[in-house]
Amino acid sequence: METTEMIEGKDISVERTGAEDRKLKFKNELCGSCGLCEKICPVTAIEVNPTGAMVRTEQDASKIEIDESKCVLCGMCSSICPYDALDLEIEGKSIKELEEYPKLIKSSEIDDEACIYCKACETACPPGAITIARELPDRSKLVSGEIEIDKETCVKCGICEEMCPADAIELDYKFPTSDDPTIASDINVDKDKCVYCLVCKKACPVDAIKAVCRICSYGDYDIKAEDSEIIGNSDIDAETCVNCGWCEDICPVDAAKVTKPFEGKVTIDEETCQGCETCVMACPCNALSFPESAESGDVEDKLHIDEKYCIYCGACERACPVNAIDVERTKINCTPIKSKSWEKAFESVKD
Amino acid sequence: MKIIYITLGESVINTHGVNMPKHIISGLKYLATVELRKKGHNQREIAEELGMDRSTVSHYLNGRNVSWNSIEIAEVIKNTCPKDFLTLTYALLKDEDKTRTIIKTCLDKKYVCKVKNSCIGCGICVDACMMNSIVLDDLKARIDPYWCCGCLICVEMCPTNSIEIKEVEVDGNNRND
Amino acid sequence: MTIGLVVYPELCHGCGNCVVACPVNSLRSPEISGGKGPTDDVDVIMMVDDGVIQLKNSNLCGKCGTCAESCPVYAIRLEKVEEAK
Repeated sequence: METTEMIEGKDISVERTGAEDRKLKFKNELCGSCGLCEKICPVTAIEVNPTGAMVRTEQDASKIEIDESKCVLCGMCSSICPYDALDLEIEGKSIKELEEYPKLIKSSEIDDEACIYCKACETACPPGAITIARELPDRSKLVSGEIEIDKETCVKCGICEEMCPADAIELDYKFPTSDDPTIASDINVDKDKCVYCLVCKKACPVDAIKAVCRICSYGDYDIKAEDSEIIGNSDIDAETCVNCGWCEDICPVDAAKVTKPFEGKVTIDEETCQGCETCVMACPCNALSFPESAESGDVEDKLHIDEKYCIYCGACERACPVNAIDVERTKINCTPIKSKSWEKAFESVKD
Repeated sequence: MKIIYITLGESVINTHGVNMPKHIISGLKYLATVELRKKGHNQREIAEELGMDRSTVSHYLNGRNVSWNSIEIAEVIKNTCPKDFLTLTYALLKDEDKTRTIIKTCLDKKYVCKVKNSCIGCGICVDACMMNSIVLDDLKARIDPYWCCGCLICVEMCPTNSIEIKEVEVDGNNRND
Repeated sequence: MTIGLVVYPELCHGCGNCVVACPVNSLRSPEISGGKGPTDDVDVIMMVDDGVIQLKNSNLCGKCGTCAESCPVYAIRLEKVEEAK
């Protein structure tokens, strides 16, 4: 029975084979440098590298170090990690699927019935965990009208082509010859692109274009409701997601719902803060910012936290070199903890 | 040395970096055979549990084909501390199941095993216990005193010092260690 | 081995960006938070002395990396160093 450690790039795995095969896996990219694993480890086997250094400077090192001579593969770090960067597997199965291990209750879901695929959540998501795929309806099915260019009257000046906002008109340009002293051989309207705005009709210097738009008068009759439906798909990568709540906050139709692993409080000492920006950069949830004043003469807080995006992980507290931030976790949302020592350990990281 | 090695040939095994006469194993098996017979096991059962020929079992029970010197050495091994008895037997037999049978059969001591609430369920004791007496129940170790041999390897290895094992007098009183 | 402050005086131009950018220095010295080099008697992490940067009290360093980011010539860095005793 021996504990071995393997490092692949910046990812770490620690393994012990015995009556059971236990493997602790660390994915560096997911880590938020919050330090909770270091705090909870009962045998002080984990050392988390300085949060500021990892986020502001180039480092070859991983965000954490695990001492395999100390690690007993108990799984506490894996259970408390709010970023899913650590995972203990027993006989190949994650402890998140084993009932005896407490699991953080956190989730982010998009109701596909309500979602309108506007992509606001995808844009706002700090770790880029959301992908919205959407299929737009056919534009030609959402407009209705008639258009015809009298090719005899048309002088091929190309003004309608230039003015058309939908690029629906095309002239076949050619070099004029003495037999045929025109600059274009043909002119055509692509009726799939035309939106019946009638700009070409108004601009034509020789009134060669006949066009009408039916949308206002006959739109309800001509255009079918099902043709204007946007088909799409929303996907949140559960591992990458940090449950910050940006998607829930920004969604215009309340289609996104987020439950957070911790409840708590953040206190900022504005006097001590020197505005170095380390915490702002370190926050995996984009919850911190230096607010700009709305009007000249207004004075804002030097450092501002939007607690609605905060998950109380404590990365900012750890990053701050002048101890200007205090993070308190008042509640840890998790499945029942059956072990007394684990209950104590979870209490101890509330701070 | 070379000549001795050749003549002794297959009857020597190298264990703990030392050449040990293989017949010590037969001494241990003899002790176990006698105890199992006392407990009412028949010859065929004994042969299966200890990995022997039934005829050998019969010889042992009739006091034949066994070196009295090796029985003496086996007795000494049996009466060292449980940890040495266990580890030496395993080193000789290289078989966990047979080791368990011999220890269980020949060990005349009983233990009371307590796991404190400081146990974090890391499973190191489960892996370390050669008697397979420990399981994890809701992230806490539980030791079956029936199989516990008092070797204290789990106590040594526990990272949170959560295991307490005490020897019990056969009439039920605790005894230190 | 832990991550800590390391200076490379041979690369340093003595601009003092790091001294002024450092939030620990800035908290301790009003002069520094105002953007000047310190003339008052205050414990700072690093200071320009004899034209190059010198570490004075690296034990006060919070390893935020602000100085390293502010340095135009990579003369002050956060790197793996031996543990302080």
